[in-house]
Amino acid sequence: MALLELENVVAAYGNIRALKGLTLAVEEGEIVALLGANGAGKSTTLRVISGLMPPESGTLRFAGRSIGGLAPGAIVKLGVAHIPEGRRVFPGLTVRENIILGGSNRERASRAELEADAEKMFGIFPEIKPFEAALGWTLSGGQQQMVAIARGLMSRPKLLLLDEPSLGLAPLIVQQVYRVIADVRRDGTTVLLVEQNAHMALSVADRGYVLETGQLVVHGKPEALWDNEDVRTAYLGGRRT
Amino acid sequence: MRASVRSGKSPPSVIGRRGLAFGLYATAALAAVVAALIMPLSAYSLNLLMQAATYAIAVLGLTIVLGYTGQINLAQAAFFGIGAYSVALGTTAFGLSFWGALAIGVLVAAVAGAVLGLTSLRLGGHYLAMVTISFQTILTLVLTNWVAFTRGPDGVPNIRRPALLAESGPYLGLCIAALFAVAWFVWRLKTTKLGRAMQAVRDNELAASVIGVDAYATKVAAFTLSAVLGGFGGALFAGGFTYVSPDQFSFAESVVFLTMVLLGGAAAPAGAVLGTGLLILLPEWLRFLKVIYLAVYGGAVILIMIFMPDGIWGYAMTRWRLLRPARPIDPGIIAPLALARETARPDDTVILSVRGLSKHFGGLKAVDGVDLTIRRNTVHALIGPNGSGKTTLLNLLNGIVRPSAGSVALDGVDITRLPPHRRAGHGLGRTFQNIRLFSAMSVLDNVIVGAERPHNEVPAGGLERHALGALDFVGIAARAGARVGSLSYGHQRRVEIARALAGNPKLLFLDEPGAGLNHVEKDELVRLLTRLKGHGLTILIIDHDMAMVEQVADHITVLNFGKRIADGTPSEVLRHPDVIAAYLGEERPALSRSYGAS
Repeated sequence: MALLELENVVAAYGNIRALKGLTLAVEEGEIVALLGANGAGKSTTLRVISGLMPPESGTLRFAGRSIGGLAPGAIVKLGVAHIPEGRRVFPGLTVRENIILGGSNRERASRAELEADAEKMFGIFPEIKPFEAALGWTLSGGQQQMVAIARGLMSRPKLLLLDEPSLGLAPLIVQQVYRVIADVRRDGTTVLLVEQNAHMALSVADRGYVLETGQLVVHGKPEALWDNEDVRTAYLGGRRT
Repeated sequence: MRASVRSGKSPPSVIGRRGLAFGLYATAALAAVVAALIMPLSAYSLNLLMQAATYAIAVLGLTIVLGYTGQINLAQAAFFGIGAYSVALGTTAFGLSFWGALAIGVLVAAVAGAVLGLTSLRLGGHYLAMVTISFQTILTLVLTNWVAFTRGPDGVPNIRRPALLAESGPYLGLCIAALFAVAWFVWRLKTTKLGRAMQAVRDNELAASVIGVDAYATKVAAFTLSAVLGGFGGALFAGGFTYVSPDQFSFAESVVFLTMVLLGGAAAPAGAVLGTGLLILLPEWLRFLKVIYLAVYGGAVILIMIFMPDGIWGYAMTRWRLLRPARPIDPGIIAPLALARETARPDDTVILSVRGLSKHFGGLKAVDGVDLTIRRNTVHALIGPNGSGKTTLLNLLNGIVRPSAGSVALDGVDITRLPPHRRAGHGLGRTFQNIRLFSAMSVLDNVIVGAERPHNEVPAGGLERHALGALDFVGIAARAGARVGSLSYGHQRRVEIARALAGNPKLLFLDEPGAGLNHVEKDELVRLLTRLKGHGLTILIIDHDMAMVEQVADHITVLNFGKRIADGTPSEVLRHPDVIAAYLGEERPALSRSYGAS
């Protein structure tokens, strides 16, 4: 049984259907990439999984449990962390406070444990360590992105939903983030990743799903996607290294 | 050309439609005035209608300041009171004619509004709210306690009306005519340059100032207009009731005015009139409930606010649009965008010269003595690690942030001390890292605001044609009529570029235009940048996609920790060991892909 299963999920913003019966599955321990153009429904898929947006119909199961229609808070408690696009760092809290808040679903964790985990996050992103006492809004866009990722990892999720983690990051940091994603999986976390940068995403992913206008176009292993000439030119872009 | 070609028939004239609308509106106004004159109304009904009409004029002022411009004004009853007391004291103590006293009232309200606006509109949000509350309180105290002048709590009786309109019926006719005229003015204001500037300030003040809107002056203008309408409504109110006293113009009344505009809907004059009518009539309708009527009245207001946050009119309009989606604007034949006529001089001269520019936030040196030279008709890229000061440098160049030291010269003019909107007037354009559009306005209006920057020469054919040309240039003229908030991310990026292009910039700053775009969209972006350069534009671009930067840039400047660490051609800079260590990392992802016109 897959860790996450979506079956015929339909979701809409007002009159506009963003997902038109999407079916996909993520096995435990996998990194799965969701690819496709802007407006294909990638971010909506993550929003539906994390409960930020109720699906109109279809079933969502996480670890065998139906999660369709559950509140976001309840879904986080089951072990799903969503790092949304656009950073959303708490502007009036310090970087350290922002990061520690990410562990607020771990009710049994002691303060010391959370502090230790926060230190680990600064180990992963040494660039933001000098700013640990700075308020969130004072950081540059890319630094905020690092804080957002660290905050998501603090919840020690079973399933990590990552929306465009490379957005606005310097090439060096993008490489770093992708190393982190690979590390996170090695530690047993399953990752569902939305990316515009197909090249980067497929370099770490076990499988990829390509969406178009709310529907699945094709899915498969990275090699299979790259080898498919049509898929490559239409959705992945450029040549393979 | 994608634009549709009309077969033979002449395009529907905008003037014609406006003329028709005005004709209908004037007929309705005339009918209402005639009805007021000939209908035998009881004194009670006359009073209610007079109150509603004069209040509505003041509430329309709030439509301008709150609905259009997004600024809070909790002193509308004070301006209303200034108008009312001018007529009251003018026609009694000073023996002035009604019209003379009315003119003085409007003038005093205008001056009070302008002074209050000039002194307080640099503050925002709750500070402005507090300043207006204080002004309101002071005015109430003056009206109550300066007995020798205002006659204190006893109020002013026997206020005179104009000689020909001394009867209540004709006077109500005057109030209704005035209301129709003011509502028409407020409605038309929305589509003027000033009205668009107001909405731009409301939706995104920073973006508005960067594209050439003087946000402060716009807010002061809105505040003053609002005070004028408050004073005008108050002056008519005093004549209507022939008696005024300080308690009619208290803070509580300001709150009532505010509730009226929010309840009816602040975005359109119809909402103001609707909200005023409802809040004046509702208590009368509910009187049969006797002891609980106030509770029901309060409950009804709360329910409307919860379920119709945009007000009744806003709610009705949303429903209406769902039933009848707006017809897309037919762009017709779009003239190609005339860009940078004066600047198309690829002669290797310097267009932007930055010397020793620094910005220190406390101990942090965000930008530290940066020199930058941008040559005309080139694409200049600014790259560097996250937090290296790229966006701060752009903000310094735009005037959003004041430099600690250094100078900036654009095309030979020192702009170091100029505010953002004046820099836009000198030909600086800009897009933002996190898109900043005027989300409640249409795509076309967003671009028109860009075209209305100071000193922009809009070619013959008018603003709308020019704005459509800019939208066509980025390939989305077909979406001109849509609300910009309803567009996809990629399209919003293009609207932002079109808005900047419509201002005919000499130098265009693009802050991470490629972020969040997929490879197909990036291909299009590369082609767009190439076309812009072909039109003689100079571009300063920040982006992290080295494949794209390498392809479009003629020159690259690299920042790290606020300092320039490299500067030169792409091939030099991207091989620079410091740049590789600080920014690119061990791999060269740039080599794996290429974009665009290959």
